[in-house]
Amino acid sequence: MKLILASLLFLFAAEGQLADPDQEARAQDLMREIRCVACENEPISNSGSDIAADMRERVRTMIADGASDDEVRDWFSERYGEFVLFRPSSKGFDGLLLWGLPFILLVGGAALILAVRSRKASDANAIKPVPPEDV
Amino acid sequence: MIEAGHFAAILALVFSAVQAFTGLRGNRGQSGLFAQLAFAAMVFAFFTLLWAFARSDFSVQLVAANSHTLKPFVYKLAGTWGNHEGSMALWCVVGLGFGAAGAWLLKSDRPVFEARALGVQGILSLSSLLYLLLASSPFTRLDPAPLQGQGLNPLLQDPALAIHPPMLYLGYVGYSFVFALAAAGLIEKRVDRQWAKTARPWALAAFVPLSLGIALGSYWAYYELGWGGWWFWDPVENASLMPWLIGAALMHSIIVTEKRGSFAAWTSLLAVLAFCFSLLGAFLVRSGVLTSVHAFAVDPLRGSFLLGGLLVLGGSALLLFALRAPKLKGGPDWLATSREGALMGNNLILTVATATVLLGTLFPLIAEAAGQTISVGEPYFNLTFTPIMALALLALPVVQAWAWGKADLSSLWKWAGGFAGLVALFWLAGIGPFDIPLMAGIGLALGVWLILGAGQEMWRRAKSLGRLPKMPLRVWGMTLAHAGLGLFVIGAVLQTSGRTQTTLALEAGESANIAGWTVTLEDVRSIEGPNWYADRAHLIATKPGTKAELNPQKRYYPAARMPTTETAIHKTGTADLYVALGDGRRAAGGPTRWTFEVFVNPLIDFIYVGVILIGLGGALAMFDRRGSGKVS
Repeated sequence: MKLILASLLFLFAAEGQLADPDQEARAQDLMREIRCVACENEPISNSGSDIAADMRERVRTMIADGASDDEVRDWFSERYGEFVLFRPSSKGFDGLLLWGLPFILLVGGAALILAVRSRKASDANAIKPVPPEDV
Repeated sequence: MIEAGHFAAILALVFSAVQAFTGLRGNRGQSGLFAQLAFAAMVFAFFTLLWAFARSDFSVQLVAANSHTLKPFVYKLAGTWGNHEGSMALWCVVGLGFGAAGAWLLKSDRPVFEARALGVQGILSLSSLLYLLLASSPFTRLDPAPLQGQGLNPLLQDPALAIHPPMLYLGYVGYSFVFALAAAGLIEKRVDRQWAKTARPWALAAFVPLSLGIALGSYWAYYELGWGGWWFWDPVENASLMPWLIGAALMHSIIVTEKRGSFAAWTSLLAVLAFCFSLLGAFLVRSGVLTSVHAFAVDPLRGSFLLGGLLVLGGSALLLFALRAPKLKGGPDWLATSREGALMGNNLILTVATATVLLGTLFPLIAEAAGQTISVGEPYFNLTFTPIMALALLALPVVQAWAWGKADLSSLWKWAGGFAGLVALFWLAGIGPFDIPLMAGIGLALGVWLILGAGQEMWRRAKSLGRLPKMPLRVWGMTLAHAGLGLFVIGAVLQTSGRTQTTLALEAGESANIAGWTVTLEDVRSIEGPNWYADRAHLIATKPGTKAELNPQKRYYPAARMPTTETAIHKTGTADLYVALGDGRRAAGGPTRWTFEVFVNPLIDFIYVGVILIGLGGALAMFDRRGSGKVS
């Protein structure tokens, strides 16, 4: 009886969480990447504003109705503009540049270092290793 | 009094000009003397500001705009730098302080080099004083003086945030002296082992307070903003992270220059860039080009002044670099698989990570200029910055034993096996009771890997030295810093993937469950403080064997017309139970329901303890006796 009462209270108390824990986890992940449109630089997961609560509810409803993560993202970006997504799109030249540049720099930098090293490479056997005595 | 301060600041400007002139001409004695005079004058100028804030002298415009008689005394004082003009005055004090410290502490056998460094520092001091006096003077009077001030941003009335800016500035402005040393080394064409030995403690002297300053800001954001997290990839946070990352790269690269004489050009470039990123941060925060939770004192004119300064100072330093870098001598030859190669890899990763943060921070601005509004937030950095940094963490324990010149690779497979074993362990644990996702398992394994690796390296060195007390301070510093990094990683991974978050709506007497806790709202009362009033909730949280009382508040500061969140945090040793009070809402005729954001954050203290250890490690390395003087 106590247990039933406790779970009833829980249902009342927590903001309409989804019954399915997997769906709820997906919804919470999405809430962390959707920007509250009334606040400064806050995801809706954190914001206490009314609109963020409405947006959270919207995410949960869509997930419960079987929408995929991308469908939820698309719905929000169509309604509020791309601004609302903290995970910017990787489509188009801009998207490729934004997402690709860090890795291009890393691979390019490594290749450059190795290329310069091999050009300068003298006889490996002639190099005498010196143990690091302190740092 | 404030006029005397204004005069002293002008005097400091004149002294800095003389310091720059005599220094660049190579007169070590005179330049050092004027550096110290300038510092003394600026300290006096700053003191008059502190005095005006302490006495709530509202005839000073800055005090009237940022203080209030009802404010607690310590926050009246902290209010001095809790605004744009005052914080620029603090910036000048710190910058001139580094010049004076340099004049006092630099004792190499290269007086001309030292003079040039003081000269460049003089130019930097001069620029910051010009900016202070021309574009953001704190010494303006208000006539007639108002009877009451307009208060200080209540978010800033907090102990952590009172010392956060001075710490951060010690870091940012500390890099100005590193910049000066690099410029002087380039002018003299002597960025060599002796140069690195001289410059290294200064690079650490900036890195340590910057680390602690960022940690303080992050801790403040955690308990004050009520968002439950510790890092939000907010543009202003990113602005402080970039100089820190470059500073971390510099700290490693300068070791190669000190020990081997290699990387001279690269090290001097990083030394220049660290301060450029500090200036860029100041520009991004102060110009208003960014929307952020804490961009304050937003003014486009000041922005263009800062941007101009950044371009002129950074540009001339890079020009100097381009002219002189080819003339710098390198060290002995090395293979890619060597200590040099490993540290080069460290530097590549840290600079690419910096570039990633820069890209993510500036991209929305560039897009906006092109007519698009987009946001770049946590998901972007988690998928770019994090895996790139993870590479460095993965390699660290393996390569830290590598020798200069050429490494012995015969034990590499043991390391691979060790790490695979760790991941497998965490993954298996995930199938069992803890339910850890694979990525989090890898992250936790990385953290443990770093701590074990730091211990293993200490052990290896202790064996080769014979006994532990002989270990140089800088090795202790390295061990502490790397172990601290491991703790940080564990805390960050757990906080990201192991925390529980719920929004509760409770009326008095109701309970709810979260992560094993039963939280009951007893009541919500109105209370009053010296310059605020608040709703204070009284909650009782119970868990088998434990009971905690939590009193989160929602405060309202009438003078600033602004609400703040005072979170309640109960620490259990393994987790924080964290409650932030939201709004109360009354249904027609019914009782008021209050919303609460409730988080259970596992081991979040690891994040802060980790960063403190990194700072402590840096401090130990800085105080190593052999860190100064001549090359052995």
